[in-house]
Amino acid sequence: MKKKLMAALLAGMMALSVAACGGSDDAKDNGGDANNADGGDASGDDANAGTDAESGTDAEGGSEEGDAAGGGKLTVWAWDQTFNIKAMELAAEQYKKDHPDFELEVIEQSSDDCQTKLTTCANAGDYSTMPDIVLMQDNSYQKFLKSYPDAFTDLTDIGIKWEDFAALKQSYSMVDDKHFGVPYDNGVCAAFYRTDILKEAGYKIEDLTDITWSKFTEIAVDVHEKTGKYLLTSESTGGDIIMLMIQSCGANFVDEEGKAYITGNEVAAKCVELYADMIKKDAVKLVNNWDEYVKTVTDGEAAGIINGNWMNGTLVGIEDQKGLWQITTIPKVDDVETATNYANNGGSSWYITSNCQDVNLAKDFLLNTFGSSTEFYDTILPATSGIACYLPAGESQVYNEPVEFYGGQPIYSTLVEYSSHIPEFTKTPYHYEAREAVNTAIMQIVNGTAQEDALKEAQETLEFKMSE
Amino acid sequence: MSTKKNGMTLIQKQRIAGWTFLTPATLMIAVMSFYPMFRAFVISLQTGTGKNMRFADPIFNNYKRILADKVFQQSITNTFLYLLIQVPIMLLLAILLAQLLNNQQLRFKGFFRTCVFLPCATSLVSYALIFRSLFAQEGLINTILVKLHILNSGYNFLGNSLSAKIVIIIALVWRWTGYNMVFYLAGLQNIEYSVYEAAKIDGANGWKTFWRITVPLLKPTIIMTVITSINGTLQLFDESVNLTKGGPANTTITMSHYVYNTCFINVPNFGYASAMAFLIFIMVAVLALINLKVGDTRD
Amino acid sequence: MTKKNNSMIQRRLIPTYIFLTIVSIFSVFPLYWMIAAATNTSTDVSRGRILPGTHFMENFKNLTSQQPLWRALGNSFLYAFATTVVCLLICSVAGYGFEIYNDKWKDKLFSILLLAMMVPQVATMVPLFQLFSSAKLLNTTLGFILPMISTPFMIMMFRQHARAFPIDIIEAARIDGLSEIQIFFRMFMPTMKSTYAAAAVITFMNAWNSYLWPKVIMTDNKSLTMPMLIANLITGYVVDYGMLMCGVLFCSIPTMVIFFILQKQFAEGITGAVK
Repeated sequence: MKKKLMAALLAGMMALSVAACGGSDDAKDNGGDANNADGGDASGDDANAGTDAESGTDAEGGSEEGDAAGGGKLTVWAWDQTFNIKAMELAAEQYKKDHPDFELEVIEQSSDDCQTKLTTCANAGDYSTMPDIVLMQDNSYQKFLKSYPDAFTDLTDIGIKWEDFAALKQSYSMVDDKHFGVPYDNGVCAAFYRTDILKEAGYKIEDLTDITWSKFTEIAVDVHEKTGKYLLTSESTGGDIIMLMIQSCGANFVDEEGKAYITGNEVAAKCVELYADMIKKDAVKLVNNWDEYVKTVTDGEAAGIINGNWMNGTLVGIEDQKGLWQITTIPKVDDVETATNYANNGGSSWYITSNCQDVNLAKDFLLNTFGSSTEFYDTILPATSGIACYLPAGESQVYNEPVEFYGGQPIYSTLVEYSSHIPEFTKTPYHYEAREAVNTAIMQIVNGTAQEDALKEAQETLEFKMSE
Repeated sequence: MSTKKNGMTLIQKQRIAGWTFLTPATLMIAVMSFYPMFRAFVISLQTGTGKNMRFADPIFNNYKRILADKVFQQSITNTFLYLLIQVPIMLLLAILLAQLLNNQQLRFKGFFRTCVFLPCATSLVSYALIFRSLFAQEGLINTILVKLHILNSGYNFLGNSLSAKIVIIIALVWRWTGYNMVFYLAGLQNIEYSVYEAAKIDGANGWKTFWRITVPLLKPTIIMTVITSINGTLQLFDESVNLTKGGPANTTITMSHYVYNTCFINVPNFGYASAMAFLIFIMVAVLALINLKVGDTRD
Repeated sequence: MTKKNNSMIQRRLIPTYIFLTIVSIFSVFPLYWMIAAATNTSTDVSRGRILPGTHFMENFKNLTSQQPLWRALGNSFLYAFATTVVCLLICSVAGYGFEIYNDKWKDKLFSILLLAMMVPQVATMVPLFQLFSSAKLLNTTLGFILPMISTPFMIMMFRQHARAFPIDIIEAARIDGLSEIQIFFRMFMPTMKSTYAAAAVITFMNAWNSYLWPKVIMTDNKSLTMPMLIANLITGYVVDYGMLMCGVLFCSIPTMVIFFILQKQFAEGITGAVK
């Protein structure tokens, strides 16, 4: 009896294996919807018809001239079905209208995986498994640039009017004066607040507009006392608040030469002091990881979010909080001359890798969609709630529409407007190392260590990481 | 080979066959484990970020750098802490369970055995996620503790360095006890029942039998499980990544996790990462050797 | 034994039963929770609901529409299966070789091979990737299985079992004119069924659950494995816990089933190997 069971099991396994090899039947589930809300698979299968999976670029797209009428296939790595991948697929659809032979395959990779794979490929000197276009987080790009300068294609002459993009966003993907990325996901920060909770505590959204962090702390403690909700939540070690704060002053934890600059950095000291103070006064709730962070929002425990605009995608999915949120500017750092109420957090850009066989096609595609098409941005906005960095898009009708979720506030154009005020600051490939070192120092300060000592240790840690 | 009139002798044929049998497996191990390790050692003597690698000067610079790396040292402390606390607990529990399940009069043996072994069937990513959800601030454990009025509000297990380490240890014990128990059970079943009967006649009670007879007879199995546990714990990776992300503030990070971060999260420094990995390798090998020697001398 | 004796013995064992029951509950509860979570909505799960709900089909539908579940399952089966078959073959042959044709040199070689167990995977990832990419083995089944098919642990297991195999049978077979290979296949293999079962369970589980190596070598979505699929589920901006646990469930079921079916042989095999 057991033998028969074994045989059946083996047969079953082999059948499944064959099914996997022979080409998937996933397309059936999606029904090949044009809008492809369901996932990258269907488009992947379309593109697959007949072409080899691995290189994905050999079969077609051989035309050297790079022409408007030509077809071709491009592969893309991106993450997040509802936002990035969807936007890319919509871009493909739009481009296809004028270039019917064009095909796009989007392969879903988490951001971490993208980085791991790029690093492994680049380190092995073998770019052949890299896609044509890859989405990269802006905070990570400098790191790759430093380590693997030849992994990406120069886009300076792509034809995009660079001044149409916020200066800050451009600088993330630039080296000297050369452009390597097409800015996409606008990471502009805003403060999102639950107006109903504010009202309960006796505040209006104006009370939180253009304020300082110390004022914010005051209000946050008050709101917490009166309503039990937190005006701000953040991840403890991976939290970006401290980075937002210093960047809103146009500074960073490195100096212009890229060296670790924590001790002796007055702006840094002020930011750390304010943030540690917030934690000590229980004005901000710290959580351990990303999903707990999101949970504080979905569960209604967070009365405020200060983060990149991409949080919008998460927010609008929460049906029972519709109409209760509004956005405004983030608080600014007290006593710092260059402090502003604007910052950027994250965001990503599209890059063309050096493995791209048909660079002209890729350039043309990006140019005509993400690079210049207001029509494109208008399409993706309602479909993905994705806000781009393309400034002219902010003037369009769609962007100025009042958004129901935010009680009628036209957040899109507001956000695009904010992004034009973000100060520039020195980038560093060691963004994550700096963030970790400073967050660790902050935890130590909250637990009793003197600020000077904790920061000194952070400086040493960061210097160590930067050394060889 | 010199030619004989009737080809090779039988002995020679057997000898060749003997070596041939080993060849595929040995070859694979050489290529898949030794070659990369060797390459990693060579890389560890180089320095530079990403692809700009060149031989370090002085050549053991990466190893010297380890002495100044506080985070790596923290990861060593963490990993050894797991080793010294989790492994003994797990193995003792496994032996105990095996001993209990080895009782011929016990019913439902198969059921209990399956229950205890079932955790081993989960993938490491899966079970880390399950435990992370269970111990979250509003997770199940906290909900129960609050309902039982043991706590007032959810305790941040994963945000506190001591409790985070404890959660990892609990998760590890949960996941691996069954695995070791199966080995002990097998070992126990190899001990003839007559040995126990003789001990009983001699008047030995349960405890004495256990320590004076069972454990010594189980020695080879115990040694094997200790070595594999040392190996597994020192190379701990998935739990650190998926359960606590090494946090809070690197207080639960393991050595392998830190090495991984150095390659893929931070600015890639493969030379340094390889040096650390090589150090891990040495540690495991030394500990295993000590273990073997200790096991041998007692004989 | 008299009935009275029997029930007395059972009564004495009550503490044991209690202890074992508690341990079993602890062991199984997280798995139960996973199953329950797979049937609930994400909000219910994060609010700490223990009872199963009615949302399984919904979670399942979300899962299959967002991720290539069937393909990942198929890939995982394929790779795990291939790994198991090849591994069993070459390791059993090697274990047999080490034991039956034992000599000083082989012992030394074996000790050296044991060192290979201690090589940390993080260290070998990049050099192996370089090797495989120049051999054009990326995204292939061969690429997946090669690093996993030979482990000193497996060789040791088969070697232990070979210890119990009587030499006289081999001698007799040789006299009968069988070649060494034939002896292995015809005489030895049939006696090792339980060892093969045990080895199959362990190898299959390891191959199925492996995450780091496939992550590195499978760059194409078509070669996705189940653990990689789960990793994709936790990296979106919003995590749907119900759907996530549904995925985890699918990832865990095959290994559990294999274990269920092969338990008896598994236990026997480990016993024989530990002798």
